[in-house]
Amino acid sequence: MQWLDNLTNGIRALLQPGRVERDLDEELDSFLTDSIEHKVRSGMPEKAARREALVEMGSRNSVKHQVWSSRWESMLDSLLQDARISMRGLLRSPGYTAVALLSLALGIGGNTAIFTLINQVLLRPLPVRHPEQLMAFANSESAGIAGGIDPGQIGGYFPWDMAKQFEADPGPFQGIAAYGSFSDTASLRLTGHADGSTDGQAFLAPVNLVSGNYFSVLGADALLGRTILPADDAAPGSGAVAVLSYHFWHESLASDRNIIGKTMTINGTPFEVIGVMREGFHGIKQDIAPPDVWTPISMQAQVLQFPSMLIPHSGLYFLHLFGRLTQSAVTNKADFLHSQNWLDNRVRDAIREREGGPLSTERQQEIGRETVPLVPAGRGISMIRSEYGDSLKILMGVVALVLLIACANLSNFLLARAARRRQETMTRLALGSSAMRIVRQSLVEAFLLSMSGGMLGLAVAFAATRALIGFVSQGDSYIAMQSVPDLKVLAFTLITSLLAGLLFGLAPAIGAARTGVHGSIGSNVRTALSGGGRRVNFWPKSLVSAQVAVSLLLLVLAGLFLRTLRNLQNQDYGFERTHLLLAQTSERLAGYAPHQLPALHQQLLQRLSAIPGVRSVALAQMPPISNGTWSSNISLSGYTPGPNENLGSDLNRVSGAYFETAGIPILAGRGFTEADNANNLKVAVVNETLARHFFPHGDALGKMLTIDMDSVRGPWQIVGIAKDTRTGSPRDTDPVTMTYIPLAQIAPYLPVPAGSSARAATSGLDENQNCYANTLLLRTTGDPGQAIGALRSAVASIDPNLPLLQITTIREQVSNLISHDELVTTLSSLFSSLALLLAALGLYGVMSYNVARRNSEIGIRLALGAGTATVVGMILRESLLLLGVGLALGVPLALLSTRLVKDQMFGLNPVDPFTFSLAVLVLAGTTLFAGWLPARRAAKVDPMQALRCD
Amino acid sequence: MSPKTDTFGGRQAQSSDLVQGTLEMLILKTLELEPMHGYGVGLRIEQISGGVFRVNPGSLLPALSRMERAGNVTSAWQATENHRRAKYYSLTARGRKALCTETEKWQLRIGAIAQILEA
Repeated sequence: MQWLDNLTNGIRALLQPGRVERDLDEELDSFLTDSIEHKVRSGMPEKAARREALVEMGSRNSVKHQVWSSRWESMLDSLLQDARISMRGLLRSPGYTAVALLSLALGIGGNTAIFTLINQVLLRPLPVRHPEQLMAFANSESAGIAGGIDPGQIGGYFPWDMAKQFEADPGPFQGIAAYGSFSDTASLRLTGHADGSTDGQAFLAPVNLVSGNYFSVLGADALLGRTILPADDAAPGSGAVAVLSYHFWHESLASDRNIIGKTMTINGTPFEVIGVMREGFHGIKQDIAPPDVWTPISMQAQVLQFPSMLIPHSGLYFLHLFGRLTQSAVTNKADFLHSQNWLDNRVRDAIREREGGPLSTERQQEIGRETVPLVPAGRGISMIRSEYGDSLKILMGVVALVLLIACANLSNFLLARAARRRQETMTRLALGSSAMRIVRQSLVEAFLLSMSGGMLGLAVAFAATRALIGFVSQGDSYIAMQSVPDLKVLAFTLITSLLAGLLFGLAPAIGAARTGVHGSIGSNVRTALSGGGRRVNFWPKSLVSAQVAVSLLLLVLAGLFLRTLRNLQNQDYGFERTHLLLAQTSERLAGYAPHQLPALHQQLLQRLSAIPGVRSVALAQMPPISNGTWSSNISLSGYTPGPNENLGSDLNRVSGAYFETAGIPILAGRGFTEADNANNLKVAVVNETLARHFFPHGDALGKMLTIDMDSVRGPWQIVGIAKDTRTGSPRDTDPVTMTYIPLAQIAPYLPVPAGSSARAATSGLDENQNCYANTLLLRTTGDPGQAIGALRSAVASIDPNLPLLQITTIREQVSNLISHDELVTTLSSLFSSLALLLAALGLYGVMSYNVARRNSEIGIRLALGAGTATVVGMILRESLLLLGVGLALGVPLALLSTRLVKDQMFGLNPVDPFTFSLAVLVLAGTTLFAGWLPARRAAKVDPMQALRCD
Repeated sequence: MSPKTDTFGGRQAQSSDLVQGTLEMLILKTLELEPMHGYGVGLRIEQISGGVFRVNPGSLLPALSRMERAGNVTSAWQATENHRRAKYYSLTARGRKALCTETEKWQLRIGAIAQILEA
């Protein structure tokens, strides 16, 4: 406990400096008295004894200082003293300090903001037990229902029966669990009362279906109540229980601890609330809008309001799977391969079993090659990660470079200050101050700046992160990301600030220490400042050149991203990108059965076309461009497919005026009309690519097309050819085959299969789920945004329960699909402008300082007859040299670095000569301007004054 | 030689020759017998060494402060035999142990030096 005593004594001494002083004084007094008495006793006269004793003791203050220095608190005390001195110094030049702090705050803030996102999107593990053991079966980022694929092959989808088998026999895994690949928005209503009366308010919230062992395999516990258990998910239609997210419980239910055991309806079916999960748990899938409710897969039909998919050999693939490896499989490669092989073999067996009968050797080999890769899922499965991951990494690099530039400025700022204080430093050294002490004060000053900058940076980062998350969420009200920094982020900011301080404090500190070696107090200010010539100037000038080089790199990057974004925006989309309003709705959620839809659609079309300023209105399953697709294999009359030929086509079901409304030109034949209804011949419109692929001789019109899906089989006669459109990612330039069919010609009931099953007999005819139209399109004469209000009231007048989930203009719809490009472009432009500004400031600072330093020299030159132009030229030449060196470094640097972002480019080469020359021009213009200002000042030096001073 | 020059020579000797650790060892040894105040410690060292070592307050007081912080000595204000107040230093258990180990080390070292010189 000795150190504790030492610590407390030290702190006490720091807090009561007066007492320490008094104590020492008293001890010295008594020492002196003893000494005198002793000397008198040994025969010395009183006066001589006193003098002798005083001489022996020497300087009282020196003794006191030595005692004080022997204790640790003296170190802290002098550090505080250094800090006070530095603070006074900084406050004395408030302008410089403000610029320094601002550039640091922006630099550190930018780094912190991007790191906050990187931390959440790329680094943070799931809040579950041993997340490193979790493995997704194939890439499971996509969501939807797939058919006609092999299990786990495209998008990692599995059918229900296979998931059940994996759950029952996980082989070498600790466990294998399943969950619905999508979280459908459902209508929730709390009922809690025994008499069944409702508590009023209804909520819309995403609900995710999970297997009975989902929570146990995932390793997550409930905060209240329990999680879903295998018994809940035992049989289809049973297990009406629900687990809530902390967010939903906290926000919508006011953290009601008595919620457990209460009843809540989900899309009209009562469920018992059995548990609430912990804060921060969002399931294994880290979606932008994470699920708020989890229910057993057994309740699929009730939750999704979709015919049961829980039938063996349904052919419907809608589940994702993940497994928990044993710890040995995590650490041992052989064990891991064993798990992987086991999984592959099980999948291959399932495919063989499903195909049945004898298989050709070719198909046998094909099946033997299929594999479902185990993908680490310890950090969750995240679409945001794959979409924004690369962008965030690039931006991290960009902000780090900006911070470096800011550090270079600060370094120069402190170097200039140190040079101005040379005289003072030398005096201090001559008076016996140690070089260490001088270096320390210089570093203290740097850290004071960097820490204050870091503090401000945290505030900047908080605001910036909020804005960034708002951008990423694209208006979703709640997303699983936070702008509040966690410990990791705070540590990052602290370390960044310290490193920055060290970086820009080191050169001045070394300079200060060197003063001790070379300094001479005899020289006057003029020689002290202008002497040392080349060596004194080396650091500031190389820093400025480096700044120029890095700024060039950032400018080129920003330019490349800007051009990429322009290319993405300005390409031919195939549809009109103005005056079009899109609205997402869900007729199913509002309770409409397929046979009620024709009437509803009729009403919607009529009511919406009556809105003033609306030119035409259409309904469709999909907007012209979106993330989702509806697709199937097709076959065409008179076309014999080659072996293994891809016969897939994207599909869309649309109402009459779709092509006029979306602005998609019809190139041959006709679009759909009112007459294309249930009573007339079934017709289809295909796009150019489809027509050209299947009918290269231009004879597509009139041919019959069949879709490989019972609900919309056809045959459909091709009556028109529409222009190709971009349907998904704007980066995806591969032409897509597309088939449009009229909504009005899709039968509301499914055809009864020949060997009609028992299920169809009991429930009568099955309704056709492919009749719904989830998109409203409005072509307006003016600004489409102005029609939103009228659209809402028109829809509400038909049915207030019909939800309008999302209303966007077509422009917003497209920009949402290239949002990460917009993010990178906006931020890199912003940061490279900042970098340019900082570099210009840096050059300005160094050149101004040089002019001030050479004031008397310039005065002499002018006095000796040098012209103004000569002086301006002299100073500008220096700036030009710095610019030249910077460019000579920067161009190769940029050429090398831009190769790293090659994949991010669209429609241009990373070595784009236009961008490079523009960046060089902008940089040259800015730096020359920054260099011209001090040069002009040099020309205005008054020779008389310059020579007279000091 | 007059006593005055003697003293002067002694003072010169201490500052350069007395290694810091050695001074602390001597202080520990001095305090082993009884608690003492600062001047007493210096005086005792001077007397026992026959005037070879003279420790001035600029070395003695920081050394005592350091040792107090290290927990080898403690201090308390007490009345002196002349009825004045003085800060008395006394050895702690830790200080006693330190004295033992320091003495052993010292013996070892001077033994080795002596051997080298005799060789």
